[in-house]
Amino acid sequence: MIALRSLLLGTLGTALLLAVGCNGSSNSGGNAKSVSGGNALPTYSDKAFQIVSGSENEALKPILDRFAKERGVELRVQYKGSIDIMLDLEQGRNLPYDAVWPANSLWISLGDTEKVVKSQESIMHSPVVFGVKQSVAKRLGWIGKEVKIANILKAAQAGQFSFAMTSATQSNSGASAYLGFLHALAGSPDFLTSKNLADLQLQEKTKALLGRIDRSSGSSGWLKTHVVENYDKFQAMVNYESLIIEANKELTAQGKEPLIAIYPTDGLSISDSPLGYVDHGSQEKEKIFTDLVAYLKSELVRKEIIGLGRRAGLVGFDAKDADPAVFNPDWGIDVNRVIAPIPLPKEEVLREALNLYQAGGLRKPSATIFALDCSGSMEGKGITQLKEAMTLLLDPIKSKKILIQPSSRDIHIIVPFDATPREVIASKGNDPQMLKELLGKVQGLQAGGETNIYAAVIGGMEELKKAGPMDGYFPAVILMTDGRSDGSIESLREALQNQGYDIPIFSITFGDADERQLQDIARISGGKVFDGRKDMAKAFRDAKGYN
Amino acid sequence: MRTIVNGTILPLSVVVAVLLATGGGCGTSPSVQPNPGSGTAPNSSYSAPPGNLLTIAGYVGGEKIQLLQNENFRRILADKYHLAIKPTKAGSIEMASGADLTGKDFIWPSNDFAVKLFRDGNRKAGKDQIIFNSPLVIYTGWNIADGLIKQGIVEKRREGYFIVNFQKLLTMIVERKTWRDIGQDFDGKIMIRCTDPTKSNSGNMFAGLVVNTLNNGEVVDETSVESVLPKTKQLFARLGMMETSSGDIFRNFLTTGTRNSMVIGYESQIVEFIVANPKSRKLIQDTVCVLYPEPTVWSSHPIVSLNDRGDRLIEAMMDEEVQRLAWNEHGFRSGLAEIRVDKHAVQLDCIAEEIQVVTPLPGKKTFLRILDALKEL
Repeated sequence: MIALRSLLLGTLGTALLLAVGCNGSSNSGGNAKSVSGGNALPTYSDKAFQIVSGSENEALKPILDRFAKERGVELRVQYKGSIDIMLDLEQGRNLPYDAVWPANSLWISLGDTEKVVKSQESIMHSPVVFGVKQSVAKRLGWIGKEVKIANILKAAQAGQFSFAMTSATQSNSGASAYLGFLHALAGSPDFLTSKNLADLQLQEKTKALLGRIDRSSGSSGWLKTHVVENYDKFQAMVNYESLIIEANKELTAQGKEPLIAIYPTDGLSISDSPLGYVDHGSQEKEKIFTDLVAYLKSELVRKEIIGLGRRAGLVGFDAKDADPAVFNPDWGIDVNRVIAPIPLPKEEVLREALNLYQAGGLRKPSATIFALDCSGSMEGKGITQLKEAMTLLLDPIKSKKILIQPSSRDIHIIVPFDATPREVIASKGNDPQMLKELLGKVQGLQAGGETNIYAAVIGGMEELKKAGPMDGYFPAVILMTDGRSDGSIESLREALQNQGYDIPIFSITFGDADERQLQDIARISGGKVFDGRKDMAKAFRDAKGYN
Repeated sequence: MRTIVNGTILPLSVVVAVLLATGGGCGTSPSVQPNPGSGTAPNSSYSAPPGNLLTIAGYVGGEKIQLLQNENFRRILADKYHLAIKPTKAGSIEMASGADLTGKDFIWPSNDFAVKLFRDGNRKAGKDQIIFNSPLVIYTGWNIADGLIKQGIVEKRREGYFIVNFQKLLTMIVERKTWRDIGQDFDGKIMIRCTDPTKSNSGNMFAGLVVNTLNNGEVVDETSVESVLPKTKQLFARLGMMETSSGDIFRNFLTTGTRNSMVIGYESQIVEFIVANPKSRKLIQDTVCVLYPEPTVWSSHPIVSLNDRGDRLIEAMMDEEVQRLAWNEHGFRSGLAEIRVDKHAVQLDCIAEEIQVVTPLPGKKTFLRILDALKEL
């Protein structure tokens, strides 16, 4: 009986080597071909082994595929921010994955309240660093020097330094860096406490530093790709040492100057990439898990992983294993330095810190235009889902649960539309009464009429112009639609050129969506398309991670 | 009732040769097992024994799970005693107070305090017997060890064997000295990381060691404990987020902590890890320094039997062959008094032959008082 099943699995496995649901983190403005539907939870599968992984592991996909082929098993990998993985884990027994692979074991500890992760193994590790353009690092005098967070803050406050960083409420690299900032700026206490967080001076300093972020996203992998593809626009990014290495390989191949790795001594963190087994009672799957771990930790694969710029070893990382072409000292990569991560605060304080970032407004505020398609084709399911999405943001209990709370500094411009924009509702802040009124308006929307996306987005952009320069904001459009618009993209292209700043357009598709127009819109604005059909809430949260 | 047996565990050259030839008897085939020594192996890999074996079920501390899954161990138990064990992983305090005992024949915590707690609450308790002992140790990297040697806090007794003057180390921590103060090249204050003392055995053993040390090396009692509790609380209050399992803290240490931290663990963890990774013996010993606190405390691994079947388990576990295997392959010292371990059987320089300076843990009431105080943090 068992033998027959293995044979079947083997046949299916070799016939169906799929990796569906890939959250295309290689997307950027220049290459918006694939749709990110990836954040929706899959259904549990008896035969396929499904893994949810941090986006920083994408480069290892070929290794996983090879394992799947050799082992004769169907392996599916979905990429998400680590904090999303934490939120998924909170689902407990209903989690449809067989394994989780966030960037840091912290997110398993925090999320696994029902103890569904039966065992875990760290596969590799990588410190979170600042990757600073060589010319900028020289200008600031950071090359070959010990740099502390206070030095970085000083440069930021003087307007001499800006950087890209992922959202601390979606991605591990952003969260780790943020906790590092707090720890250092609080004077390096034994560990961060509520008292530290309540200190207004600490809040102001952290705000000042976060205010110099020029690009956000929910994914470390996406951020790396975006910075590389738009290198002229950036000075630096916070990311894993491994992704700085990946970026530099591409940059130097293009004849561009590399990013220099800066390790702030008082604000460091290390991602330990734990692969955790989620037990659904299948001995077969447990065997696959243990085989996969053994495979990834086997000598040959370990060397391959190191070749990709990840630190890996039975104990720590042996500097002798580091190929200097990969762990390149010319890029500031330092395998001899002792990386001492900040001591982590207690769980309640960590959660408090994340809420302070999101709702408390330490993060750089967003200026978001919500273009809501209320045309006739959205009637029924479409407009219901659209309203649910907006409720996630405007209902304080729901927004807190998924960490997308508005802050007192955020600007929201809501533009319900059909053939023309119906109205433009501009608001600022997070006053509960005001949010309630906005929610009421959204819930009262009725579907009907034709569709012109372009007019609606342009209408919102016009309104946003009244708020003045957007230096201190992340502007973005979140467009919720089923596509199929009248009108011409040319009007939008012109409007984007005349806006005075970049304003990426993130589309969330509903109903019977036609993505082609939306892909074009994403491409000309540096945005992305998210499939909201399977899981609108996830798509919405994913989109919010970008501003 | 404790049985004391005189004797020594003899090194069997045959056993050693077999161990060397098969690479330690476990963990050489890459596709077989998850990395042992993590203490978090899935316990559903239990498979049903042949018909004439008696299956005995019970709660077991996480650090013993690897031993129970050891093929050689299972064979001895099956062939000699016609037994198979079905373990359920649980924390010591958890299993001693309130865990569901339906269908269980024994509990096997990691300390004696849990036995006392269990007896207090439970009529079902039968005999108890200490099966293994493992001393508490501190794991760190050689850079830190060298720094502590220069300060006269760590002393090399002989090649590979290092003791740390626990009183002096504790003083450094209480005085908030930094790593740079001991010649290290990274930020932060000197600290020993441990598991949550209110949840995990190694953390609460460590708490016992700390209170005695703060009491000038004398075991605390219900009166003297009050004078050291404030300082004890201050120390633990500085620890932030703590892991709840000794397996996790050891694993995290091995991954990212070998050069920047000191962590509490059991001696058995490094032995088990090296035996499971025989080809990396040199790498591990070159990277990890085992510091034996002087004085240290024993973690005692007693089985409490709940019925006749549990009694049979105790009998089997006291078998000399079982005891030898437990040492050779998993680093558990015998629980039977006056048995000396053979370092050479495990081919490790870093293991002490005898643990000479031990402090007894505080009594049950005192211990409860300590844990209550720490729960307030």
